[in-house]
Amino acid sequence: MRKIWTTVALASAVSLSAAACGGSAPGGATGSGGGGGDTIKIGTLHPISGASAADGQQLENGAKLAVEAINASGGIKALGGKKLELTSGDTQGKPDIGQSEAQRLIQGGAVALVGTYMSAVSANVSAVAERNTVPFVIDVTGDDGILKHGYKYTFRLQPPNSQMGTQGAQDLYEIAKASGHPVKKVAYLHDDTAFGTSVLAAFKAQAAKLGFQVGPEIGYSPASVSDLTTQITQVKASGADVLAVTGYYADSVLAAKAVASVKPSLNAVFGIADGAYDQPQFPKDASPAGAGLFDTNYRQDASNPEAQKLETLYQQRFHDKLRTEALLSYDAVRVIAAGLEKAGSTDRAKLRDAISGTTLPSTVIGNGPIKFDAAGQNINALPVVTQVQGDAAKVVYPAKYAQAGAKPIFPATAGG
Amino acid sequence: MTNAEATVSAPAARASRGPSRDLAVRTLIVVLVLAAALVLAYVRADKPVIVTQAVVTGILTGGVYGLVAMGLTLIFGVLDVVNFAHGAFLTLALFITYGVVHSTGLHPYLALVVAVPVMFCLGWVAQYGVLNRAMGRPLENQLLITLGFSLLIENGLLLFLGGNPHAVRFPGDRGLPLFGAVADLSRVLAFVAALVLAGAVYFVLRRTRIGTAIRAVAANRQGASLIGVDVRKIYALTFALGTACAGAAGTLVAPFTTIQPTAGQMFNIIAFVVVVLGGMGNVLGAVAGGLLIGLAEQLGGIYLPGQSPLLLVFIVFVLVLFLRPQGLFGRGS
Repeated sequence: MRKIWTTVALASAVSLSAAACGGSAPGGATGSGGGGGDTIKIGTLHPISGASAADGQQLENGAKLAVEAINASGGIKALGGKKLELTSGDTQGKPDIGQSEAQRLIQGGAVALVGTYMSAVSANVSAVAERNTVPFVIDVTGDDGILKHGYKYTFRLQPPNSQMGTQGAQDLYEIAKASGHPVKKVAYLHDDTAFGTSVLAAFKAQAAKLGFQVGPEIGYSPASVSDLTTQITQVKASGADVLAVTGYYADSVLAAKAVASVKPSLNAVFGIADGAYDQPQFPKDASPAGAGLFDTNYRQDASNPEAQKLETLYQQRFHDKLRTEALLSYDAVRVIAAGLEKAGSTDRAKLRDAISGTTLPSTVIGNGPIKFDAAGQNINALPVVTQVQGDAAKVVYPAKYAQAGAKPIFPATAGG
Repeated sequence: MTNAEATVSAPAARASRGPSRDLAVRTLIVVLVLAAALVLAYVRADKPVIVTQAVVTGILTGGVYGLVAMGLTLIFGVLDVVNFAHGAFLTLALFITYGVVHSTGLHPYLALVVAVPVMFCLGWVAQYGVLNRAMGRPLENQLLITLGFSLLIENGLLLFLGGNPHAVRFPGDRGLPLFGAVADLSRVLAFVAALVLAGAVYFVLRRTRIGTAIRAVAANRQGASLIGVDVRKIYALTFALGTACAGAAGTLVAPFTTIQPTAGQMFNIIAFVVVVLGGMGNVLGAVAGGLLIGLAEQLGGIYLPGQSPLLLVFIVFVLVLFLRPQGLFGRGS
């Protein structure tokens, strides 16, 4: 009996001291960062290792630049100029790790979370955020389902997959019609995960409305595919006049190269939310197979002076070309900062309400400033069309967002 | 476990008996099944050119799968080590190739001169310095070490070179017409090189003193050491040969692969399937298994439209495991 009591006493002593340590740890940590409790912590959750590490790094860097910019201009003024501080977690692209990292950051005192690039990870993190009543601003993650749970603490900046598919079909239709080569039949090559299939479903629904045919639909596994020549031969045999592609980087490069060697008679290769055809390194990597390829995706606003400045700054700081996703995480941190200014408090519930009522100009092309609907979706998010012209992907459509007079070249024989 | 025991002795036993009738019958069955599959594909497909293309692509990618699996199966057959780092070694060779081409502007295939010896030495060091200490211990020991190697290589590349994708250009690469289908020159050359390499490894194993020693160690390590074979050196040599195969594969696939720290993972999954299918420890079985998987992957897209092409690969895999657990060309216990 005595033994039991000793154990209980010991256990409670241990847990008490652990709690004391837990309580003092954040203060100690911030102390080293510039004066006890003077900073407001924002947690970032991105895949910094694993297959998407390059994207994770971009997102992480974007958030870093935002924090630096806000701190340089005087911190959060409504809170007496308090500075922001990033605490980051590596999700490794795995939902379970993302979830435990989210919990760690919240326990470490993060007032809000930014992330996560992957749908499955974002789904778990949004649940954690909701349970802990911590605002979670999604920079990149397209899955529609995440905002359909009725969560109050989750917000998203990028356009969802359904909007990508719908807008992609619409833009393709309009570009083709304006060029005098209207779309008749679109072959669709897509990765067979939830990403590819959900974009395809939205594309097909819009195509039915606009009156053009979609088929054949060809799926592949991005994790194992090493050649897409047979699939492109299938496209050639089908007599389709446009090939739509939804995929990740490596597999989309394979598709572009296969098109260049099989030479199907296509008017265009049109990426829909594709992970390669709008990227800065793609034209060189796939050269000459990349020439003329379209993509519908979120895109940095080249006419925005802040975005221009960031593009140069990014190159200087990180010796790498900025991708649009970095600006989405940049904006995500700005949204949280604007929320803090508005709420005048680090109380997470007040911050959530402030964010949901925030209107903020974006560095990414949209129909207007960032503004969230009741579900938490940025209602002004807008995918636009880029085309590889020369050594870069340029925004070509809609005309009012087009870069320096760039116009869509349609038909565009892939491979030049 | 029975698999492992059954196949350790495979190369040596096969050497003494030569190709058996049994093997000929099995090969015939495989060929017949393939022929039937082709006929069915031609019936199912809308246009014959699609099937022709699938067969051409299947054979070409299959050769590459075989090449990657060859090193893996060699290491397994002799050392009994399931090498999880094989894909990572291949990635390392991809980066070496990229480095050579990027800094010198030479033809990517010339990187073989660097990649193969470097990977050979690295394999030697890995086995002699680290893995040899764990030999004879439970299987998990070696398995965890190779897993550690793969984490080390992938994350080291990520840390020092970043995660951005890279590409290597193959000068003069173009699509060659082949029975109405097309095949990229770089892929055809990789296929031919894979066959040549398989032949070379087979020759080394069968016709040289070193090869005899390797087979002796595979058959019976105690017996081999009793007649004066330095088993630890043979282990190191075999592992080095295996990683050199991964090195050659890395350079050969570089022109048509996106080079990033996780690029080898893609080949890893397939390579393990090929090794088990071909019979663990059987080099020529790996090539045959590679071709079979390559064809199954391509034809799968035709038989089961709308499904993942890997579906047929795993159907074939499960069927073979069910009918012949030791692999198509492996020996029964």
